[in-house]
Amino acid sequence: MTRYLVRRVIVSVVMIIGTSVLIFGALRILPGNPILTRFGANSGVTAADIAKIERQLGFDHPLVVQYWNWIAGVFHGNFGKSYFSQFSVTTLIAQRIPPTLELTVGSILICLLISVPAAILSAVRPGRSFDRVSSMFASFALALPAFVTGIMFLLIFSVHNRLLPAGGYAPLSKGVWPNIRLMILPACTLAIAQMPLVFRFLRGQLVEELSASYVRTAQGKGAPRMRVVVRHALRNALIPGLTMLGLVTGYALGGVVVVEYVFGMGGLGSLAVTAANQRDYAVLQGTVLLISTTFIIVSLVVDLTCQFLDPRLRTQPL
Amino acid sequence: MPDDIVKELSQGAQPSERAAHPRRRMRGFRLWGRVLLIVSGAVPLLLFLTFLIAPLIAPYGPNTQGTGLPFAVPSSAHWFGTDELGRDLFTRVLYGGALSCEIALGATAIAMILGVLWGFIAAMRGKILDEVLMRSADIVMAIPVILLALIFISGFGANELSLIVVIGFLLSPSTARIARSVALTETSRDYYSAAVAYGASWRRLILREIFPNARQSLVAMSVINVANAILLEASLSFLGLGIQPPQDSLGSLLQEGFSFLYNSVAYLFFPALIIVILIWSLNVFADQLAVFSDRRAL
Repeated sequence: MTRYLVRRVIVSVVMIIGTSVLIFGALRILPGNPILTRFGANSGVTAADIAKIERQLGFDHPLVVQYWNWIAGVFHGNFGKSYFSQFSVTTLIAQRIPPTLELTVGSILICLLISVPAAILSAVRPGRSFDRVSSMFASFALALPAFVTGIMFLLIFSVHNRLLPAGGYAPLSKGVWPNIRLMILPACTLAIAQMPLVFRFLRGQLVEELSASYVRTAQGKGAPRMRVVVRHALRNALIPGLTMLGLVTGYALGGVVVVEYVFGMGGLGSLAVTAANQRDYAVLQGTVLLISTTFIIVSLVVDLTCQFLDPRLRTQPL
Repeated sequence: MPDDIVKELSQGAQPSERAAHPRRRMRGFRLWGRVLLIVSGAVPLLLFLTFLIAPLIAPYGPNTQGTGLPFAVPSSAHWFGTDELGRDLFTRVLYGGALSCEIALGATAIAMILGVLWGFIAAMRGKILDEVLMRSADIVMAIPVILLALIFISGFGANELSLIVVIGFLLSPSTARIARSVALTETSRDYYSAAVAYGASWRRLILREIFPNARQSLVAMSVINVANAILLEASLSFLGLGIQPPQDSLGSLLQEGFSFLYNSVAYLFFPALIIVILIWSLNVFADQLAVFSDRRAL
């Protein structure tokens, strides 16, 4: 267990370093020039002005030094300064974390609340009508991009019925209801994108477990059907299901980009989109690094939890 | 990405799931599966062909303004209605679809070439190179694909060519993973050892030995890639980081329509419908292809 833990943590650290190199390298090596974008079509910009800004932003150092400065800063909680506005990236990101966090967690909860019971009901009687219908819904939902779901929700609930507001974000400090009211549509939109993944995976696992001989034994000794499914099969199916949860977090963290854009929420996703449009590399690299690191850490925690829960996994090599 | 399809492709179908269906239903399933396979393959193909001949069948020019009143509802003159400048939306969807499909097919070609080489080399060389190649694929996949796309697009600029290259590159690591596991099952078979034993060259091993046997899985994988490329292109264009006006793609049409959310439903409905139909049918097609290639193998 300790050996696995150490190895798994090292792999995660290597992955975090790798992603940071990829993010930084891609932004520096690709042809885009943030300084020229910032000046835009302004006339009267001299080479001296450009050189001055390059010095201010540290572009006159070699790439390796620039990377080192960036990473060293990140460890001190300093993500650098935005190229575009004069705020520090740390401030910009910190402001944007609450909506994104709430949206991600909320959507995963909604997704689990619906897809787990649906998967159980389908797996208990595979091939029957409930299974057929929900599998069809899952295959349809899989093809539904988040922006299409979001637009559909907006048209139905905000434009035509005016039941819910079309977008924005109210912090929890303004009261629970105003906060939730604005969160319902985005969270459901994001949840619909994840549901088919969880549903199909968990259903497959459950069907497999239900055909195992320990299930037949349990049935043979006269345990009630629901008890066999929930206490015996589900417990075994949930461990690989937990790995799926790690993946779903990744989907959710990517999905926030589009969902926040549709619903006009000022979260990390919309911060990244604005930064990409303005070529504000300092903000863009900080945001993407934060999100991908979160994803890597969540996967690590999920993997370790699985190891802890299921001793059988511990004998397997990484 | 539909992960269960990927799992099925790399590991083969779980026999227990099939065992769960009573045998007498198999015949019905097989027929239904065949119908599904043909329909889900024909729908995207027909759409692609329609987009291809857009200049021949489009009733107006793609940027001709004032062909009708602004925000006209669908009618016989304007099947999909008109936009804010009175341009015909049916025409714009045809041209937009053509561009979307062009990007998706181009990106898939890049993803398949890059990913298959990446995965095959990892599987055939093994050891350190395998570890390095697969860890780097993991690193690329640890960043949510849309965020990595934002980085690449803001570096390359938002235009057709950079979208093809960027989307192609972003889809390659997942392709590499599948290609690797498919190649691993082939390299463990006797015919492969035989080919190695009589001294077949690398080119022969890849092109004549592994490739023909891995073909079915790779075809299914490329269908999934087309669906994912359409999705990614539409997402990026919707965020304003893809195709820029006056060019149109399905995603950029949606983006323009989104700013007139309160004026016109048709503006949003038709591009969205086409995107959903394309992705859905391609997913089902890939699913059925995987099922059929399994069945033949068993």
